[in-house]
Amino acid sequence: MRRTVVFTLLFVFAISLLAGGFWQPHDPDAVDILSRHQRPSTEHLLGTDNLGRDIASRMFVAGWRTALVVLAVGTVGFLGGSLLGTFAAILGGGTERLMLRFCELFIVVPTLIWALTAAAIFGLSPLSAGLALGLAGIGPYALLANSLTHRTLALSYVQAAQALGADTPRLVVRHVLPDTLPIMFTHVGSNAGQSVVNYASLAFIGLGADPSKPDWGSMLFEYRMFIFDDPMLMIWPGLAIASMATLINMAFDDVRPHEAR
Amino acid sequence: MLEHTLRLGLRAAASLLAVSALTFLVVALMPADPVEIAIRAWNLPANPATVSAMRAEWGLDQPLAQRYFNWLAGFVTGDWGRSFRTGEPVFDEFMKRLPLSLTLGISGLVLAGVLAVPLGFAAALRPRGIADRFSRGLAISVQAVPAFWLGLLLIWVLGVKFQLIRPFSGGPSIYALAIVLIALHSIGLFARIYRRDMLEQTGQPYFRTAIAKGLTRRQAMWHHCHCSALYAMLSAVRSEAGWAIGTTATLEVLFGLPGVSQFLVQSISARDYSALLAYIMTVAVWMLTMNAAMELTMRRLDPRSA
Repeated sequence: MRRTVVFTLLFVFAISLLAGGFWQPHDPDAVDILSRHQRPSTEHLLGTDNLGRDIASRMFVAGWRTALVVLAVGTVGFLGGSLLGTFAAILGGGTERLMLRFCELFIVVPTLIWALTAAAIFGLSPLSAGLALGLAGIGPYALLANSLTHRTLALSYVQAAQALGADTPRLVVRHVLPDTLPIMFTHVGSNAGQSVVNYASLAFIGLGADPSKPDWGSMLFEYRMFIFDDPMLMIWPGLAIASMATLINMAFDDVRPHEAR
Repeated sequence: MLEHTLRLGLRAAASLLAVSALTFLVVALMPADPVEIAIRAWNLPANPATVSAMRAEWGLDQPLAQRYFNWLAGFVTGDWGRSFRTGEPVFDEFMKRLPLSLTLGISGLVLAGVLAVPLGFAAALRPRGIADRFSRGLAISVQAVPAFWLGLLLIWVLGVKFQLIRPFSGGPSIYALAIVLIALHSIGLFARIYRRDMLEQTGQPYFRTAIAKGLTRRQAMWHHCHCSALYAMLSAVRSEAGWAIGTTATLEVLFGLPGVSQFLVQSISARDYSALLAYIMTVAVWMLTMNAAMELTMRRLDPRSA
């Protein structure tokens, strides 16, 4: 019951972000100095900001950009982590140790800081941030996929298949991956909510960001000075970040290995 | 013990070396040319003579490996290059700003640990009680709410509505607010881990023995399970140390506090990559130090490994 509600909400959220990416009620960049700081109305659903731009339109564009980041982080983390971890487990020996040590490097420096570096060098766009957050997050996923693969390889049905003479690629595709991928998927999903917050933090810090494009994080940075005159400006983006992250977290709440529940 | 400490140190040094090589490679592959940027920043004549002179001065005409070793030697001896923006040595700037960032991060983690123990204990004492629900809600909600937004909300409520603090003033109340915000991310998580381990311990035979001897549940938990639960909690401090840095970075930007992250943000707008390298290395050193400190503390807590 609860899952249905969460998934319905997530679906509605995703659809509105998708639609908002292509169509906004107003041009999100249209400056209208005469109608600054307007209250919400039927014309401007969430009101206007300090330059008279329509907040709802900016929120939509920012939401679409955030959705892209989440997708990129999830895809890169899921594919990269599974591939690297599984390969390492199959190769074994010194190669495996080397690969795992390399993955640990990405744990020594936190994901957000790696992404900050990437943003500083290559600029901040949904694609670069998504790739950077995804690549920097591969480390823990690869370690997880590695231990899962080892566990599966030791199971009797896999050993039976091996004894029957199945070659390694077949063994992996038919017997190991179907066992490990669902767990990986849930794990990556449960961390995807974190990438919403991470991307918002990156945009808030603003290294290499394109100031002409709205992001929930950069909107918070822009509007932070108006908490005296128009505090609603900084309510909306924060609310959007929190609700998107919460929805994703709730949807994938099944597997949370290191968190006590 | 000594041998263990040594091995820990060696492993940390190896990680540090690997991180530095990786970062140096990424920064060296960056699309922008530092000489061009510096010429523009300092309004130097952009003729070939200046360019080649600057290349030679910074050692940019040497092969990549040579440059890396030069930089590494400089880094170890405290020569972290000069900032494009200020012309001051990066090392001095970092030493000036590091105490603030470190204070924020460490106080946040310590505050979280100090508050998490009673919360986790109360949660374990009465599963499904108020403390249990509260700590669970806290642990889940802080995952979704960015600290800088919570900070903005708190400034709004405390500073604008109730006028208790002066927003963006940089006074002591702002520092206190920043530390609380950093701690908030970890309190719930620490308390949950403390509670989980404690509940696990209460299922052990030795706990039943303690109860059978006549101790109350509270006494038995405190005297017999606390150390084990604390041990579990400390292992989580290592991963939270990374979060503490990220949160510190956003809060320095939000409140305009003069820490290392703020320096990084200012330097990057001037395309100052020596500051970026120094920043990553500082973060890596912080993470490895926290890791080593926690590991050593945990060894002291665990009587089996003493």
